[in-house]
Amino acid sequence: MGTEVPRSEHAHSEASSFTDRTLAYLLIAPTVTVLLALSIYPLIYSIRISFQTGSGHATFENFTRLFSDQFFLSALLHTFVYAAIALTIEFFIGLGLALLLNEKMRGRNAFRALFLLPMMLPPVVVGVVWRLMLNSNFGALNGTLKGFGVNTEALTWTASPKLAMASVIMADVWQWTPFMFLILLAGLQAIPQEPYEAALIDGSNAWRTFRHVTLPLLKPAILIALLLRTMDLLRVFDHIFILTEGGPGFATETLSLYIYRTAFRFSNFGYAAAMSFVLLLITNLISAGYIRLLEAREA
Amino acid sequence: MKTKRIAHRPELIVILLALILGVALTLGSCQSNSSRGKSLTLAINSGVEGDALKQAAKDYETQTGVHINIAELPYANLFEKELIDLQSHTGAYDLIMLDDPWFPKFASLDVLSDLSPLLKKRGMDKPDDDFAATSLALCRNPYQTGALYALPYVGNSQLYFYRKDLFEKHHLNPPATWDDVLTAAKTISEQETNGAPGGGKVYGYVMRAAQGNAAVADFMPIFWAFGGEMFDAGGQPTVNSPEGIAALKFMIELGKYSPPGYPSFNSDEVGAHLLQGTAAMSINWPAWISSFSDSAKSKVIGKMEFGQLPAGKNPGRAEIGNWLIAIPRESKNADAAMDFLLWATAAEQMKLSAQRGNPPTRKSVFNDPQLVARFPSYPAQLRSLESSRPRPRTPLWNEIENAFGIYLSKANSGELPAEDAMNQANAEIKKIIERGK
Repeated sequence: MGTEVPRSEHAHSEASSFTDRTLAYLLIAPTVTVLLALSIYPLIYSIRISFQTGSGHATFENFTRLFSDQFFLSALLHTFVYAAIALTIEFFIGLGLALLLNEKMRGRNAFRALFLLPMMLPPVVVGVVWRLMLNSNFGALNGTLKGFGVNTEALTWTASPKLAMASVIMADVWQWTPFMFLILLAGLQAIPQEPYEAALIDGSNAWRTFRHVTLPLLKPAILIALLLRTMDLLRVFDHIFILTEGGPGFATETLSLYIYRTAFRFSNFGYAAAMSFVLLLITNLISAGYIRLLEAREA
Repeated sequence: MKTKRIAHRPELIVILLALILGVALTLGSCQSNSSRGKSLTLAINSGVEGDALKQAAKDYETQTGVHINIAELPYANLFEKELIDLQSHTGAYDLIMLDDPWFPKFASLDVLSDLSPLLKKRGMDKPDDDFAATSLALCRNPYQTGALYALPYVGNSQLYFYRKDLFEKHHLNPPATWDDVLTAAKTISEQETNGAPGGGKVYGYVMRAAQGNAAVADFMPIFWAFGGEMFDAGGQPTVNSPEGIAALKFMIELGKYSPPGYPSFNSDEVGAHLLQGTAAMSINWPAWISSFSDSAKSKVIGKMEFGQLPAGKNPGRAEIGNWLIAIPRESKNADAAMDFLLWATAAEQMKLSAQRGNPPTRKSVFNDPQLVARFPSYPAQLRSLESSRPRPRTPLWNEIENAFGIYLSKANSGELPAEDAMNQANAEIKKIIERGK
């Protein structure tokens, strides 16, 4: 039935469908034009400049330089370290919170709303707030620790090469764990009651139920949460830029920061474009891995 | 049926009409803008330097009827915005404010107007001698000798800030040499364990060693005083010379008497420590001076002295950091822009700018008795400016400074020993220069 209605209307009058289509094209045209101008043209342009150096000749120089550029290699390493650690912590805390707040308990809705708050803040604001809190002399964190009698002399959060990475990850975890929590909670709520009832009848304990019922059924939500967070983590910029600007030294410089500097501080757009494509490629490969896992389950 | 429904939706028609109207208005306003001759567009830094120029522009508008549009951008974006606009030859700006280390980049790209013909037209063959020579030298490409592409507007150069009350209390020599500084830093750190206004320790020294501009600016005066040079006569980097390494070791030694965390400090943290009375000495910029007499910010009113940079093997010299104003080559109103530029940098206007908080670039304004009464550090500032040194004049400076700053910060945070840091910095700077050829 559903397919018959439009077909009969189509046959009904040729002229009306023509204007229909024209109007449709007309209405899409601005979007397509904007897309072409703002997205597709710059993409092609950036591919072109990634094969150019200062002289303007076509060359692979920008790509061969990547392998000998210590700054690029360590920025890449920092990006992976940052993404891997932040992703792991955010996932486990997010899953724990989701499981907890999936149960019936007092104040559940209030907690859910509270946990989502950090995500609503602009990352720049989060960066500024954490910068203030982590200030080693006047900051709230060291102030609190001092109150407990901890010697905070050596706890120079953003200034020590060892602590700086932990500091920026901490801020990321604070802001983005709610995102994991939100998707995983939605995933949990979508699981029907029947498998749990069956497990209960079969005499399964809580861990086995979690392992063999909850986890498999939650897998799509887990993969989507991991996929989205990974993509985001690999291009992290805002709050690191505010918190440490990549320092001390180079300790927290991620690829996005280095790309930004190369393009807008050193005006080397070709090399920046080349690095961006490497980052894009890496992100795509990892995402493809997740999507494969997702499809494997559905098949 | 469907068509009719869509075509008869009033809100769709309204949206379409609004779109058409919007486009028409945009086009219309573009046209009216370009046809009006007496209008200038300025790109300025949002901050005290830009504010003074903005107010001057308003006065100019009332006096002459020339309409002035202001594009105000934060420091972090001003460089990239100006560079991209000038390189794509938009002609959007008639006057731009430049931080002096950016100047070689702009000049080497040939996107600025040579000001000499415009001066000649007005019967002058060069800018007058009242400008500090070190400021004017920044406006020429090559440095000091080449063609004139800008005029200096704000005459910043570093000063040595120190707590004269603590120096008197502990019978310390005024910091004339870096050795004096180290002795004083040590004494104050050891003695003033509870001497800060709110209780707590006074650190002998405080500096910025965050990677990039901050670490480099706080290192250069030490580096120069120790006899270090960034480049030899052939343009090859020499930061890892014995003098350079000794200077970095000295900086790290001073770091022992600086508040923990200084390898991530920027000007805000340094300013806070000095104003709170928790640090006693620092290399700093004139923009901070007025805060020290402001009771809302300062706990050390009347206790801070502003002097010359300490000497080492060489006499102490400050790093210069002037704001320049240039006319982009693509400006369609170069003549009108030149009139404004000469007006804004003349003594009378510069005095007003000084009252708005900007150090001048003219000797006569520095020596103005009214201003000296209000800004007692002006004589010291003029001496510092006249003996100052610029950062190396190269279009690659941003990239060199970034690499150099990373290694300075690494050495200060203990990640690398001084020798390794300087050797690696030297190798990295060499690569940057090779690539730039």
